[in-house]
Amino acid sequence: MTLLWLKLIIKRDLLIAFRRSATFLMPFIFFLIVITFFPISLSPERTFLLNIAPGIIWVATLLSSLLAIESIFNEDYMDGTLDHFFIDTEPSFMLIFAKVFCHWMVTGGPILIAALLASIFLFLPLNIFVALLVSLTLGTIFLSLLGALGSALSLGKGAILTAVIVLPFSIPTLLFGTNVLNLALDGQPYSGYLLLMGAMVSIGIPVLCLLTSEAIKLYYE
Amino acid sequence: MGSTPYFYRWSSSALPWLFLISFLVLVWGLVWGIGYSPSDYKQGDVYRIIYIHVPSAILSQSIFIFMAVCGFINLIWRAKIAGMLIKSACNIGATFAFLVLITGSIWGKPTWGTWWVWDARLTSTLILFFIYLAIIGLHSSIDNKVKADRAVSILSIVGVGIIPIIKKSVDWWQTLHQPSTFKLTESPSMSPEMYLPLLVCVLGFYFMFFSILILQLKAEVLIREREKNWVRNLFNT
Repeated sequence: MTLLWLKLIIKRDLLIAFRRSATFLMPFIFFLIVITFFPISLSPERTFLLNIAPGIIWVATLLSSLLAIESIFNEDYMDGTLDHFFIDTEPSFMLIFAKVFCHWMVTGGPILIAALLASIFLFLPLNIFVALLVSLTLGTIFLSLLGALGSALSLGKGAILTAVIVLPFSIPTLLFGTNVLNLALDGQPYSGYLLLMGAMVSIGIPVLCLLTSEAIKLYYE
Repeated sequence: MGSTPYFYRWSSSALPWLFLISFLVLVWGLVWGIGYSPSDYKQGDVYRIIYIHVPSAILSQSIFIFMAVCGFINLIWRAKIAGMLIKSACNIGATFAFLVLITGSIWGKPTWGTWWVWDARLTSTLILFFIYLAIIGLHSSIDNKVKADRAVSILSIVGVGIIPIIKKSVDWWQTLHQPSTFKLTESPSMSPEMYLPLLVCVLGFYFMFFSILILQLKAEVLIREREKNWVRNLFNT
């Protein structure tokens, strides 16, 4: 029963997302615009860009995933859909999980593609492709989880509060991610940091989903 | 529900003693440390700011753990007092984190030559300060104070899980900072004439924290229950 319900929610969310191309185009475009700013404002020189590329890519990822986080609960909260989900007898934990998953699909995916394009703009060599892809995948999942908690705590309160809540907590992801890319650029083993990021995701999924559902319940009592 | 009047009466009688103890311990520690401990052979008398810097640093971190414990109690047992404690503790914690950054800069200027370096410990203290500010911001943005307490409980539980990760992840930068003064497993590398007054100062800061905490909690109880009969009786008679 729960599985069918889960499938329906995911289908609904993805359908809504794909009927409105802005949801998945905006993070993509935003990411590329942010990336473009760095060569323009700092220096277009090849070696310089190569040095700062990991940091730029991760900051752009952080910002574009944060920008999209507003939409995760706010629309459902405004039009009353969230009320119905919480009246339902199904566990709210699963609902949050489905929501985060969909959100990651429509924002994390575009960010990944944009990051691959950005790696060409920033002259990154092809051999760090795997490191880039895996670290960004794990990182964006964790950022989506954190963002869900942040936007649940600041439901209907505006984006700046969500940003202030979420950004300090996303620093480990930023640091691990840039470290992976830097090590990969140097040709050193980087799997340790990837494992750490994986550990954060696998602890984050149960704990953060549970706390997020607790946070949303604040608004329904 | 009935516990707040009881708490108010109990704290009113205990608070003067608590303040007296913290005042005495602080005077003991600070006078001993700043006035009578030997000067450092390299840093001279500058190092004496340690008697404010290190206790603030210890407090700013342990207050966060205290908040997370209160958060657990508030979320699980819906204890009102625990919720109010988080809010009051958060203000004090933010103050201590600010104090660490300020005294650290004052100490850093003569010894390292700059007000600020992007060193691991400094950075993680700064992030801790940001998290405190985020919690204060979240609390003030929710009008229903009971709900605000619970939102803040959730955030401080997440914080206590993630702060060790932040500290570790930030640690990879080469650090300029001297290693921790106190470790649980080893005896300190300073001489006893220097670290004994420091221990007294830490104790005094803890007492000060609890005194201010209970004072703030009393104010919070009065504000939240201003419509209740027992508060009205308190001020009418």
